[in-house]
Amino acid sequence: MTDQSNMFDAIVVGSGITGGLAAKQLTEAGLTVLMIERGRKIEHQVDYETELKAPWEMPFRGQGDAAEYRRDYPVQMLNRHFNEFTQNHFVNDAEQPYQKAPGSEFDWFRSYQLGGRSLTWGRQCYRWSDYDFGANKRDGFGTDWPIRYADLAPWYDLAEEIVGVSGAKEGLPQLPDGRFLPPMELNAVEQAMRERILASYPGRVVTIGRTANLTEARDEQGRAHCQYRNICARGCSYGAYFSTQSTTLPAAMKTGRLKVVTDAQVSRLEYDPQSKRVTAVHWIDTRTGEHARAASRVVFLNAGAFNSVHVLLNSASEAMPNGLANSSGVLGTHIMDHANTLAGLAVVPGFEDRTTSGNRPTGIVVPRFRNLDTLDGEGFTRGYSFQGGALQGTWTRGKRMAGIGAAFKDELHRIGPWTMVLTVFADCMPRATNRLTLSNQTDPRGVRQLAVEFAFGKEEHAALADAKREAAAMLTAGGGHVVMGFDQPGHGGTSIHEMGGARMGHDPATSVLDKWSRAHDVPNLFVTDGAQMSSSACQNPSLTYMALTARACDHAVSLLKEHKL
Amino acid sequence: MSGPALTRRDFAGGAALLALALGLPAAGVALTDLDAADLSGERQRRLMDVVCERVIPRTDTPGGAATHTGDFVLLALAHGLAGTRTPLASAAVTPALAPHLRADGSLRHADWLEQALDRAAGGDFLRRAADEQTRILTRIDAAAFAKGAPFSPWTAIKGLILTGYYTSEAGGSVELRYELDPGHWNGNVPIAPGDRAFSSDWTAVDFG
Repeated sequence: MTDQSNMFDAIVVGSGITGGLAAKQLTEAGLTVLMIERGRKIEHQVDYETELKAPWEMPFRGQGDAAEYRRDYPVQMLNRHFNEFTQNHFVNDAEQPYQKAPGSEFDWFRSYQLGGRSLTWGRQCYRWSDYDFGANKRDGFGTDWPIRYADLAPWYDLAEEIVGVSGAKEGLPQLPDGRFLPPMELNAVEQAMRERILASYPGRVVTIGRTANLTEARDEQGRAHCQYRNICARGCSYGAYFSTQSTTLPAAMKTGRLKVVTDAQVSRLEYDPQSKRVTAVHWIDTRTGEHARAASRVVFLNAGAFNSVHVLLNSASEAMPNGLANSSGVLGTHIMDHANTLAGLAVVPGFEDRTTSGNRPTGIVVPRFRNLDTLDGEGFTRGYSFQGGALQGTWTRGKRMAGIGAAFKDELHRIGPWTMVLTVFADCMPRATNRLTLSNQTDPRGVRQLAVEFAFGKEEHAALADAKREAAAMLTAGGGHVVMGFDQPGHGGTSIHEMGGARMGHDPATSVLDKWSRAHDVPNLFVTDGAQMSSSACQNPSLTYMALTARACDHAVSLLKEHKL
Repeated sequence: MSGPALTRRDFAGGAALLALALGLPAAGVALTDLDAADLSGERQRRLMDVVCERVIPRTDTPGGAATHTGDFVLLALAHGLAGTRTPLASAAVTPALAPHLRADGSLRHADWLEQALDRAAGGDFLRRAADEQTRILTRIDAAAFAKGAPFSPWTAIKGLILTGYYTSEAGGSVELRYELDPGHWNGNVPIAPGDRAFSSDWTAVDFG
């Protein structure tokens, strides 16, 4: 056991979207911080090995070695962002096993590296509204959030300032506007769809996706504006999208108060029953197998929703035999992921003479329109929103066509027809039966694996059925000819919005965290990643995690300064 | 599969040759844990070269042969890209396919193609004139893509030919346009006569 004898004000477990932000906020507030990352070091600009590669410079032309994927990446290969250019930003499933309960289908997409999934995320940034924070109270699923939009609004402001979010203000109460950089332009088909759908369905707004890609340079952060490549998950040397490497890590390092340890898998938190505080973090060096430990006054868990729960479950002690901070017994329960499927795809005629220039790194969004002030959903009480966009075909359409020879080749070099796609993301109800537990099987480092038990229920199926009908109606109103649409959700995890497991709530008897993202049972323990979520809304959640993280950091610093921790 | 039986050493050497043909460092192509039977012989390489050229012929830009698309297709088939190592459903297994099944139920696509072309040619496909080769392939292609057509291995092979060609340097940047770093976004641009698509339109490649 190596004792890192140095004591830190704070230890942050995880270096992804929330871990990086926690490190930044805490160090800038004057705290000394140790950030522990289980994956390898990735240095900004230096280690984006495939960023500039063309397909013909890759062994498998960007498609990847399917034999290797079947063997080592059977889950990660299902992620649409996973390919030969990006595979080094995803875990090797064979080395990082997890278990699924019988009958459960859950594809857990993970990125264990410095920066975590901030390197591979979809970058969509949306505020939640009081329709979302009030949802559990309104329909009785889950436990009531102890906060409302007003509590978080200033922290959304701060998060957007740090991240740099481009988007268009629409004045919609269900998707509050933020502090946006100039929006990216809709393409010709999307603009027409916006106008036509709005004419037929007032209140249903096709707007540009609000994305963490800079439309204006941020010289003070050393970040250039987006180059419109749309290959973000390879890593971006321009720093044009928000990641730990581009934004929060440089800021934290600049303070001189951050220490980073990589290749360090946290095995447990050490709890002192006398002081009722977490006193230290234990980890395993994944290269050497050596065990290590460091102490701190406060701990932030930002390992990613499921991994933060995993650490708490693995931190059971005599004083807390069911897992750390689990006097309520709800730790690990009420996990969620948005129900997701391709709700509608339509061919859109009339724009054959129009195209685009550059590769826009975001699509469109149609904010929730169901179950707002009126409960108008059939069989569901929450919401869904559409994401997608209009795009043109390319040579790949030749795979679905008969033909060979010169005429076929001539056809395939032309810019293809327009299609418009609406993918649905629906609220996932918080259910006790969807949960994380410890498996009896261990990983290669001897740590008990996580087991996932998950299924969507009738509410999600009803929402997706409605979404399919409405997508078809809206695409038709927009001038499209609907080709297909689905109403069955993909596996859990498909949205890569897994969350919950250490939910926030008013009552220590029924929740793990208080309104400051702090453990009811352990006053110096904060969990500020997706684990804290009490409901899922239907928006992409990362911006909310960030706002909650910044708020929790501010609270922790205040408590430390007042000697209340 | 035609050609002499290969030893492990031959196989590794073949992998290196294939990598060299593709212009890749041999170390970048990890073939060593695959079955030696999945390494194509020289005749299959020549056959696939010809097939690729018939599908994507030289015009004012290079075709399938000049871009070594056939070698990519064979590499892709050996590694099971495009689902080509997925076991066939029993209903899809016809007498013509059965001899080419692996023990796991997946199909040796290159072997099937070699036999199908020779059978259609009534002999050695490679000895037929280019026009005749094109007619044979056109018939196979039309049958595979006909409405309600039963499973045909040709659809996957053709898909890999297109992937190989349009991700080659000439296919991606001469036949089509390639721009890694546009630096701008314009959502509404008129299409000019003769405009070629961008192979670097990743959204179109993924979803188009």
